Amino acid sequence: MKFLLYLILVLLLVPTQTTLLPYLSVWGIKPDLGLVAAACIGLFAGEMDGLLVGLAIGWALSLFSAGELWVSLLTDGGVGLLAGFLGRQVSQVTFATLGVGVLLVSLASGLLAIVNFKNVDSAQMWWIVESIVLPQACFDGLVGAGLYWLLSQRFDVTRLRTE
Amino acid sequence: MWMVNSRSSSGARLVAVACFALLLVALVLLPNQIQGLLHYLDGPVGHVVSVPLEAIASFDAGIVARWEQYVALQGVWEENQQLRKEIEWLRGQNSQLRESAAATERLTALLQFKEQALPTMVAAQVIGRDATNRYRAIILNKGESDGIMPDMGVITPAGVVGRVVKTTGSSSVVLLVTDPNNAIAGLIQRTRDEGIVEGTQQGLAKLKYIPLLSTLRDGDRVVTSGLVGGFPRGLAIGTITHIDKQEGALFLSAELLPEVDVGRVEEVLVIQSSYGQATKVAGGVDLPGKPLP
Repeated sequence: MKFLLYLILVLLLVPTQTTLLPYLSVWGIKPDLGLVAAACIGLFAGEMDGLLVGLAIGWALSLFSAGELWVSLLTDGGVGLLAGFLGRQVSQVTFATLGVGVLLVSLASGLLAIVNFKNVDSAQMWWIVESIVLPQACFDGLVGAGLYWLLSQRFDVTRLRTE
Repeated sequence: MWMVNSRSSSGARLVAVACFALLLVALVLLPNQIQGLLHYLDGPVGHVVSVPLEAIASFDAGIVARWEQYVALQGVWEENQQLRKEIEWLRGQNSQLRESAAATERLTALLQFKEQALPTMVAAQVIGRDATNRYRAIILNKGESDGIMPDMGVITPAGVVGRVVKTTGSSSVVLLVTDPNNAIAGLIQRTRDEGIVEGTQQGLAKLKYIPLLSTLRDGDRVVTSGLVGGFPRGLAIGTITHIDKQEGALFLSAELLPEVDVGRVEEVLVIQSSYGQATKVAGGVDLPGKPLP
């Protein structure tokens, strides 16, 4: 059952990210739903699930991106794993803490990705950080917080995490 | 709740860390082998993931078509009048170009130039945009099973769109001409000076490495040089809007306005073979201007 849910999530994530999200982009920036999903699964289902689903999401999304495969695998898998660990250290997760957490991991993954860019000088790198990486991290944080808020309205998220 | 019982035990936690560390080491030490191994699985996984992608893309295309055909019709009359004027002007220009073409044909025959075969192309639809914000790329609904391979050029009848960088069985990713990671050999049509066209971070394009003594000016058109890459000679890339002359630099560079509005492109042609090496591929089309299916 769980495997099926994860499979559906990965299959639906790709068309949502590549076809539907461009309509919701703000100044050409769209959120990275793969990263948000990996973070949420790591938080609620633990490190192992976060890592495996993050890797699957990273791989599926990299098939439909010009980016390098290893960057997607490391960022999405790493975020799932990290979210699982951080979820244990924070006694009470709120939509605000989740939003800030997703913002920080999105920022880290964006910086990791641009370090891999070739032929980019420091001025261009700074432009990418302030025009793409930072706005996307804020967007990801908002989407993560919104998703957590929606889940908290529907489920008892505290029990979901602690049991 | 399915998630309640799935919290990891400390053993699973260690396994997760070990798996991630192993993956990290493998990607650092054996990047090509690991990615090559995963590439074998790309085909079947790509096929499976393409099914919902194409379904949602066709649903999306249906909605966009309805909107454009019935709702967004404001200003169509004015646009129609403007287009009629343009057609009149283009008819006149077409007649002059036919004369030039006939003269060129006569001269070519006179000089006994080797006749060039037209490139073979396959038409494809755009079904999505790059999954990340870091690259300017589009996703096509055709892939390896349709004969599309990495490094093939992608165009519209208006000009160059980009280059195929990744393929799965039924889809491919095209890096746009406006992406900074893309480089296409270009030629200034009037002066015949060559350079390299690269994208800019701002979503335009730039012609680099132009000889210092070039007499280029704003408004000059840049076309593909056909020397390297998947493009034949003479396809429109863009128009020069600004020339950058830096003190002490060995070359000039110029900003370009791309010929194709890559943000709105919906159908494209993938060049499967350039001039002089055309081979008929199943489902391929032979003429650059042939209408899409």
